[in-house]
Amino acid sequence: MSEMWLNMGPQHPMTHGLWNLRVKIDGEMILDCDPEMGYLHRGIEKISEDRHYNEVITLMDRCCYVAGLSWEHLYILSAEQALHLSPPERGDYIRTMCDEFQRIGSHLMWYAAFVQDIGLMTPFLYGMRDRDLILDLFQSYTGARMTYEYLRVGGVRNDLPPGFTDQARGVLDWLDKKFVDYDRLCLGSTIFRQRCDGLGVLSARDCVATGVTGPMLRSAGLKRDLRKDRPYSVYSQLDFDVAVADGADVTARYLVRMEEMRQSVRILRQVLDWLDRHPGPVLADRLPRWLGAPYAPQGREGYLLKRNYPKGLGFSSVEEPHGEAQAYVVNEGGEHPYRVKFRSPVFANLSAARHYLVGYHVADIPPIMGSVDVCVGEVDR
Amino acid sequence: MQPEELAKALAPVLGERLIGVETFVGTAGRVRFRPEAALDLFRFVRDDLGFRHLSMIGGIDWTGHREVFYVVWSDDAHQYAILSADLPADQPHIESATPVWESANWHERETWELVDIGFDHHPDLRHLLLPDGYAFHPLLRSFKLHEPEELEVKQRSV
Repeated sequence: MSEMWLNMGPQHPMTHGLWNLRVKIDGEMILDCDPEMGYLHRGIEKISEDRHYNEVITLMDRCCYVAGLSWEHLYILSAEQALHLSPPERGDYIRTMCDEFQRIGSHLMWYAAFVQDIGLMTPFLYGMRDRDLILDLFQSYTGARMTYEYLRVGGVRNDLPPGFTDQARGVLDWLDKKFVDYDRLCLGSTIFRQRCDGLGVLSARDCVATGVTGPMLRSAGLKRDLRKDRPYSVYSQLDFDVAVADGADVTARYLVRMEEMRQSVRILRQVLDWLDRHPGPVLADRLPRWLGAPYAPQGREGYLLKRNYPKGLGFSSVEEPHGEAQAYVVNEGGEHPYRVKFRSPVFANLSAARHYLVGYHVADIPPIMGSVDVCVGEVDR
Repeated sequence: MQPEELAKALAPVLGERLIGVETFVGTAGRVRFRPEAALDLFRFVRDDLGFRHLSMIGGIDWTGHREVFYVVWSDDAHQYAILSADLPADQPHIESATPVWESANWHERETWELVDIGFDHHPDLRHLLLPDGYAFHPLLRSFKLHEPEELEVKQRSV
């Protein structure tokens, strides 16, 4: 047979976003591949240099459209370090709650899209239905279902509405029951097992060499989770396990993500209990007004601060639903960050595509790429 | 690992080429090195200090010079370290980290096209996020957001 390059994308049911997977094939065999990115590049790092610190949060929601709150948290942690600020404890707990609900929401979106790729329609509808419950919760306290703009330098924008924790517990109870159904629909399905077992294998050694993180890394048996290894926010005070599997294939990634959702439910129950017991402020007081904060006290003091504000560097790293995201913020004493740099986990996971695609068949591409959980918004930024 | 320990471990290997190790909250330290030490430092940091995971590479355009920084992670110490080198503003370039960390590939392509830092002996230095033939480097301070630039995009050759 003759070799040829095949473009899968930028418009293809497999891509789930705007990118192009170029594969070199011989008949049905994949010989080489070259992901082509940049179709969604909006220059978020450049635009950030022209915004107030709090205005960058708007862009973070657009970084990953299924995990906006996790990206807001990432940026906020690093901006706070650069600006020498810290949030009140209740604000920190609310951020953790946002993170974990976002993790379940993102994984449900992944679940829905992934199983649909391999031809199962019922789980897709189940996943989308249950994700809506989480979006309803987000809507009740952020006012938005997708682009939240909720976290602030120094805390969060507003407190939770009355009755929120009870509503949230209801959602968790429902999800706990539904996770059993999910597993039965997928792991009990012969089609699912035949299309996923033993595909897209990426060993732990290759994962480390190519910078792969998140569920893909944990599916190879490496127990690495920043929430445990380098606890940020309030994770050191919460009790949970790190989900790992040892197959390193598509099924193993499925198992890791499902277990992560169960662990997130466990974390959320603890956080909700804490929030019930500890009312208090959610935003630090005495924030400098030049942050662009309409809620900060007015007066000359704020303006003086800007001129004398100490410079700083901020570096943060969070376990985002897709893997390890990092931010590097340089504060040179102005109203705007001097430089903002983000590390997207999917960026690294995709750059390793050659390792987990070559040697498999063309028909294996949708399940393998589905198990990577590509979010183009954060790759291209 | 503390910045002092890091400095003590690196000094015999790099000698003059190590400028210093600064404190950076939340990491093992910020290692400032001269660009000619790049590969020696990367190999030592990976093999002897256990920083086997390269997380990201980024560039900063300062007034008068450019900076390239590497964020590395150690699974044993559960710590990050930041390696940073200052490069001249005129044709800044540094040795590619791809022989040491394979993951450097895409990060270097991105830094090259956005911040205009060259990576010598990179296996595949092509545009990643920007169109082929794009003549500007958007993350330089001289690239202003408010003045639209005229650009010419070459056809991608397949």
